[in-house]
Amino acid sequence: MARFLPLDVVDVRKDTRDAVVVTLRPRPEDEDKFNFIQGQYLTFRRDFDGEELRRSYSICAGLDEGLLRVGIKRVDGGAFSNWANDNLDPGAVLEAMPPMGNFHTALDPAAARHYLGFAGGSGITPVLSIVKTVLTREPKSRFTLVYANRAVASIMFREELEDLKNSYLGRLSLLHVLETEGQEIDLFTGRIDEEKMQGLFTHWVDPKSVDTTFICGPEPMMLTIAASLRAHGLSDDQIKFELFASGQPGRARQKAVSQSADSAEACEATVTLDGTTRYFRMPKEGASLLDAALANDLDAPFACKAGVCSTCRAKVLEGETEMLVNHALEDYEVRQGYVLTCQCYPLSDKVVVSYDQ
Amino acid sequence: MNDMSIEDYLAHGGKLTSPGNAPPRYRGELMRLMASFVDSELAASAGFAEVINDAPGIKSRIAAARIVLEKADHAERVLKIMADFGADTARYEGVHPWAARLDREADIGASRQGGDMRLSVFHYPLQGWVDAVVMNVLQGAAAVIQLQELAKASYQPLAEVFRAVTPREARHAELGREGLGKIAATQEGSAAARESVAYWRPRVAAGFGTVGSARFERLKRFGLRHRPNEALLADWNAQIDAMLADLNLN
Repeated sequence: MARFLPLDVVDVRKDTRDAVVVTLRPRPEDEDKFNFIQGQYLTFRRDFDGEELRRSYSICAGLDEGLLRVGIKRVDGGAFSNWANDNLDPGAVLEAMPPMGNFHTALDPAAARHYLGFAGGSGITPVLSIVKTVLTREPKSRFTLVYANRAVASIMFREELEDLKNSYLGRLSLLHVLETEGQEIDLFTGRIDEEKMQGLFTHWVDPKSVDTTFICGPEPMMLTIAASLRAHGLSDDQIKFELFASGQPGRARQKAVSQSADSAEACEATVTLDGTTRYFRMPKEGASLLDAALANDLDAPFACKAGVCSTCRAKVLEGETEMLVNHALEDYEVRQGYVLTCQCYPLSDKVVVSYDQ
Repeated sequence: MNDMSIEDYLAHGGKLTSPGNAPPRYRGELMRLMASFVDSELAASAGFAEVINDAPGIKSRIAAARIVLEKADHAERVLKIMADFGADTARYEGVHPWAARLDREADIGASRQGGDMRLSVFHYPLQGWVDAVVMNVLQGAAAVIQLQELAKASYQPLAEVFRAVTPREARHAELGREGLGKIAATQEGSAAARESVAYWRPRVAAGFGTVGSARFERLKRFGLRHRPNEALLADWNAQIDAMLADLNLN
């Protein structure tokens, strides 16, 4: 089971008006666990008004920088990103799971490859990690980066990219595409569409020279780019996609009106986890068994909280419960008393549940 | 710029790379698809393990052992992706008795048995070397067609594993065809092989799923599938017909 580990915040730098770059340091005993692959992300958790939110942010550091760093762009109404932009300071401690993610290809120091990257907005973070890593670890490879933003002011890592371009002359080409600000060449103004891709492949990049492409940005942009790459002869295994966090709901849920746990509508729950049994009272409505267990300091396993991944499976040994959604358990398991605790609500006045069986 | 749902994105050929972006139903179908592959590979590997001792010579013994090893390896690779979604891999490996088989004449159609997601064909027992070779040839060809289909799946880490294992699965089927060639060279072998083909062919065919499957439509919307069951089945039938004709087993 994945565990959350503490990370010390050593630096918080404002990168644009809407984004911070946060440098983190694992505790000495956890250092190995935070060795990452370029393009991976960290999943953080934090409590907002009693509700735990989990958010993933891509690592923007290269493998040879010797540090752990993520970029966090403000999302409209996003609880975590706004909190990080407004309130996060050095000295704070964040909890994160070890790095995860598959947005990478294997490095080969002897290879002379041409990588083509497309980033939209904060989609630059994992791509930047890949750019930096490729430049240091594959001295014969080169990278062409097409980077789309609304305006100059919203370009994340603008200076860092310029510095990289100057340090690796001839190996890093950088093309900014800006939505709102006119540039001298039409190719660089507006959104990335089919016409721009055609222009790119006619004037700037020979598609035949490209070994691997990385795309990270909003969905429509990724589709347009992928379709064009395929039309220009690139195969599926040459195109690596990473959706950025736009698909994740950012808002902390409105807290349900708390019910009196002493009313007749309350249930006495007995929950066993890792061999330890705990008793608590919980309302019959408003909180799932999993949420109630978490609220009572049981570190119950869960992941999707949507009744699908089955990580939160437990067995009801006594009492009656109902599941709102079940996409994971087979009928026979349900008959045996298994439930997805994230979807499970007590019906009887007493339930006995075990995560150990 | 962001007014596209992940469902739309997937329906238009978009790819996902991390569990965090998978919508609940997508995740359910993806997990199911992966579990089906893992369970089938583990069951295939376990079933073939028992056949190693039936192999008539060192070369065929090595071939059988290699199939046992590599199918287990392929299962492990996909299980690793399931772990990204929260599956408990250690528990998963022992969750079903992979070597267990039903009766030879059990009639289960294409249905799964309980929580064991292996293709139904892997519930039937092998009967000796010729039978195992025939099953491996027929199912091996089916597996390659199914893997080529799944190598286009919208969950990129899984598609990559499928792309990587397809040549090895193709080699397993090829080893089987070499073995079947030897078997078919004798009259006695031909007769036994024909009998096994008659037994296994409909059972392997059932693994392609039903015509006009509602699940296929859902999987297609998710970009997890592309060609309908009947198209894959037709490809397989054509291949098998040609191969059996080559070996005078038709």
